[in-house]
Parts: sequence; structure tokens; C-alpha cells
Amino acid sequence: MKSARGLLVALAIALLADFTLDRVIPDSSVRQLAMLACCNMVVALSLNVINGMAGQFSIGHAGFLALGAYVAAIVASHVHLALGGGDVTFARSLIVVPASLALAALVAGAFGFLVGLPSLRLRGDYLAIVTLGFAEIVRLVIATARAGDQTWLAKLGGQTGYAGAEDAGIPLYAGPFWIIGITVLAIVVAWRLKMSGWGRSIRALREDEIAAAAVGVDPTRAKVTAFVVSAAGGGIAGGMLAIMRDGTPIVQPDSFGFQATFDAVTMVILGGSGSVSGAVVGSLIITLSVKAIELLQATDAVQALKASYESLDLNALRMMIYAALLVTLMILRPDGIFGEREIRLFSRAKRDRADSTRA
Amino acid sequence: MNLAHPTRKQPDLHGEPLLAIENLHVHYGGIEALKGVSLHVDAGEIVALVGANGAGKSTTLKAIARLVSSSGTLRYAARDLTSLNAEAAALAGISLGPEGRAIFPTLTVRENLELGAYGHRDASAMKETEADVVALFPRLGERMQQSGQTLSGGEQQMLAIGRALMARPSLLLLDEPSLGIAPKLTELIFEAISTIAKSGMTILLVEQNTRVALSASARAYVLRAGENALEGSSEDLAKRDDVRAAYLGG
Ligand SMILES: Nc1ncnc2c1ncn2[C@@H]1O[C@H](COP(=O)(O)OP(=O)(O)O)[C@@H](O)[C@H]1O
Ligand SMILES: [Mg+2]
Repeated sequence: MKSARGLLVALAIALLADFTLDRVIPDSSVRQLAMLACCNMVVALSLNVINGMAGQFSIGHAGFLALGAYVAAIVASHVHLALGGGDVTFARSLIVVPASLALAALVAGAFGFLVGLPSLRLRGDYLAIVTLGFAEIVRLVIATARAGDQTWLAKLGGQTGYAGAEDAGIPLYAGPFWIIGITVLAIVVAWRLKMSGWGRSIRALREDEIAAAAVGVDPTRAKVTAFVVSAAGGGIAGGMLAIMRDGTPIVQPDSFGFQATFDAVTMVILGGSGSVSGAVVGSLIITLSVKAIELLQATDAVQALKASYESLDLNALRMMIYAALLVTLMILRPDGIFGEREIRLFSRAKRDRADSTRA
Repeated sequence: MNLAHPTRKQPDLHGEPLLAIENLHVHYGGIEALKGVSLHVDAGEIVALVGANGAGKSTTLKAIARLVSSSGTLRYAARDLTSLNAEAAALAGISLGPEGRAIFPTLTVRENLELGAYGHRDASAMKETEADVVALFPRLGERMQQSGQTLSGGEQQMLAIGRALMARPSLLLLDEPSLGIAPKLTELIFEAISTIAKSGMTILLVEQNTRVALSASARAYVLRAGENALEGSSEDLAKRDDVRAAYLGG
């Protein structure tokens, strides 16, 4: 029950942040970074279910993020209109955010079920290709719908993106209360999932399918639910990105290309596949490195260089930094920063240790 | 140790053996691994199943645990077993300690054990069983937070048996518990097996180590190339030198 109290405290802090963050951190780009870091944590935590705990290799997480982002953006826009438009208020967010994110989770989860089915027969590279194919299909279907078409797909705005019903911009309802609150909740849920009987069963399945079946784990159900849970989490993360305050009021297909998946996979591997703590730390490192390069890009020196070398793009540098970081890490710590271990904050670990010394 | 499962009823056998197999066939693709195996195990008995490498011992256990599909009669606790899947068989009280001590290497010893009670909701009963297992294998108790892969071969075998016991099974299937383990630890493990047997557990023990298996069991079956070759009291079979030479590959 200690963790329940902790949760309440966290939510209280998040609530406070919702009303005061604008004054505490006047720079909106810094606020945006903090919120982005939270969203990315949820991205990594959800991918960790498949790539870490279940030991499958999905490189299609961007597909679930995209579904979640578009669904949340559409729901938020329409509910906003139904409420009469006007100002984005905290009271309204109590309706808009849960509705948007719940639907985002539902739709992404349903697609997770479909993508999970092949995982029953495919492994390794083959499954990776299926997941990648799925993500690309989602992105391309959205991107190629032409503006003149009368289909509902065209309403998504194709390559230019979706900017809310009537193109008024997506109402950004998810303030710090929601973003921080959901992130804290996601960490707790991810932790509990990992330590739950279900979490143990999918980790067992990853190690030895026959032995897992022999103790009564149903491999089919466990694998598919892992995909559904991971996808639903990805949907929520995508939804958070789409409607977070200080974010951009438009969602575009290009935000959900392979780069997005690659970032997510890097977060998980960097932190340590299967580790909840690792996903948190990994997502922080990636978020900050992206920001650092952006800042570097904006400096006068780089801008001056850019004036003479037009094609200069420091984002390419990011890939080099990642590559170097990953290679170094794989040499020094082949299982990521944490391996599958955790930073033990919760009481259960201490109780376990006390148990084992007594025995 | 306490074997009574908190919610699973003791099977009502109506005079049948706990496990009855007749004319069991198993195919792996085109290969016929079992060609009509028959055996039975009465409640409370410890029965050995021996035979050379490739005779079909593991396949027989996998069929009982419903990890491979089979044809022929397979009855457990006076009901048809063939209609159950592995999950249902485990819940019905059949526990397998798989060949090659297939533990979960990166999971902790405690997690491995708790997985043995997968599907059982009663947390306090699980803690009790865990205490029983630790009493049986004190080495496991000292290593609860270690990952399975850090255990020695013998300790991993203890963990595999302990994990199988966590479900408080009615029928314990053990596949070559002595495989690749130092003689000293083999002795320890077989002492534990006899402790388990004395508490009333029904055990079907597969072994290539015939001497150990025959001395631990009351009756035994010898398999050869997927078929029954011999059966009898373990004591009698142990006395016959020709058994070893003819059926057990040396
Ligand atoms: N998964 C499998 N696929 C194909 N053939 C198998 C498989 N498992 C076992 N066999 C074959 O079935 C026969 C019986 O094997 P097994 O039951 O493992 O024997 P034992 O346990 O007595 O050594 C052997 O010929 C073996 O090669
Ligand atoms: Mg075998």
C-alpha cells in the first residue's frame, strides 16, 4: 500500500504542475521537452513489453504510436467541438483526455492483436519484418490519402497532416497533470506487470517454451496478450504526443516513420531489454540527446556553417552518436545499462531479501 | 512435506490406476517415436521407465503432459487425458520436471518456483509449498534471488524438481534427473525423490541411469525403439544382467 500512497503524492504533484508549470518554467520549449520525455517513457515502457519481457523483436512500434496519435487527435477535436469549442480548460480535459486516450488504446490494441497473431508462428527476423511492414502500411495509408478525395481517409490530411476538425488545430488538452500522471501510472503498471504472474509467464515463455507450457502457461494467449498490451500502451503514448499541451497542434505521418521506431528500440536496448528502470533511463537519454542536437543545430556557429554548406544536417550526426553509443555499450554492457535488473524502490524487494536471509 | 492441494480434490479413481496408457502412438512428422506403448502407474507408486537413448522415454512423458499429441488410450484420474491441452493437464495435477532441467535461466530461483504454481490463485498455499521445497532442497533457499543460470547443474535440477512440486501435483513426471550431474549430487537428488515418494506422491521416473532408477523404484518398464520390451519389479530387473546388455545400450 506504500506504492498507492506514493502514487497519490505523484498525482498531487502532477495536479499542482498543471496549474503552475507555466510560471515555474516560463520557457515553453523546456516545458515541451519535459512533456516529451514523459511521452517517450511511455513509448519505451510499452515497447519493452514485447521486445524486453516477451523477447520478441518488433520494429513496428511507430505504427501503434501513429494509430494512437491520430485516434486521440480526432477524438479530442470532435469532443472539443461537441462541447461547444472555445477555450481548452482543465475541467473539460477531465472528459476529453480519458476519452481520447482510451479510444487510442483500444484501436491500437486491436491492431496489436492482429499483428500479434503472426508472432505465434514467426520468430526473430521474420516477425521483425511483419511488424515493420505493418508500421509502414499505417504510415503510407495515411500519407497517400489525397486532399481532394471524399473518403474519410482524406480527412486525415495526407502528407500535410491532421490539424483538427475544421483544420482549427488539435485542441491540446493533455496538460502536465495528464502527461506526468499517466507516465507515473505507466511506470507503476509496467512494474507490476513485470512482477505479476502474467509478467513471469511471458518472461518464462521467452526462455523456454516447452517448460513454460509444462507449468501451464498457454503460449498462444500469453504471446498475443503481450502484443495487445504493448500496442495499447503504444497507442496511449502516441495519443499523449498528439494532444499534449505545448506540443504542436498537428499530427503528421512522417513523425511515425522508421526513425520513430528506431528511437524507441534504442531506448529499450540502451536501458536494458526487459528492465522497467532501463526503459525510463533509456528514454530520458534519447530524448535529451535529440534536444541537445537541436540546440547545437541552432547555435550561431552551426548556422554560419550551414550558410556555406547548405546540406549540413546535424540530425545525421545524431545517428552517428547513437551508433557510437550503442557499439560502446554493447562492448561494455551487452545487456544494456540495467540488463534486466531494476532499481529497487519498492518494498517487495526488501521483503524478498529479508525472506531469503531468514531461510 | 504437505502434498494436499488446497483446491484440487483427490481424484476418485473407481479402482483404476492413477495413470493408464494403452497402445500409445506419437509421430514427429514422418517419424514414429512411440509405436504402441502401454503402462500404468497406481496412486502412490513410484515407477521407473528406462531404456536406451532414443527409446521414446521423453516422448512418453511429453504425451502425458500433453506437450505432444498422441493416439491411443491415455487415462489419468479415471478420465480421458487426450482431450486436455498442456495447460489443463498441469491444472489437473500433472507436473513435469523436463529433460535437461529446462529452468528459466534469467528468472530468479524464486520466480522459477512461483511459475511452478502458475494458475494457482492461493498465495498462502504457495508460500507453504515454497517452504516445503526449500526444506527439501536447502540450497535453493540460499539462492532465492539468484538467477537460475547462476546455479550449478545439480542445483538447476533441484530447481526443476522444486518447480514441478510447486503445483502440488498428483502425478510427478521426472525426466532424467541424473543427466549430466556429479554422482554426489545425483545421490542427494535421489534422496529427495525418495522423500517425495514417501510422502505419498505418485511418480513416473525416466532414467538412463538404470542402476539408480531401479533402486529408487518399485516397478519398472523397459522401452526399446518406441515399444514395450520388458516390465517387472525393479528388484528382479536389477538382478538380470541381460537386461542391461540387451536393452539399455551398454
Ligand atoms: N522434436 C522431435 N522431432 C523429431 N523427432 C524427435 C523429436 N523428439 C524426439 N524425436 C525422436 O523420437 C524418438 C524418441 O525420442 P525421445 O522420446 O526423446 O527418446 P528418449 O527420451 O528415450 O531418449 C527418437 O528417435 C528421437 O530422435
Ligand atoms: Mg529423453
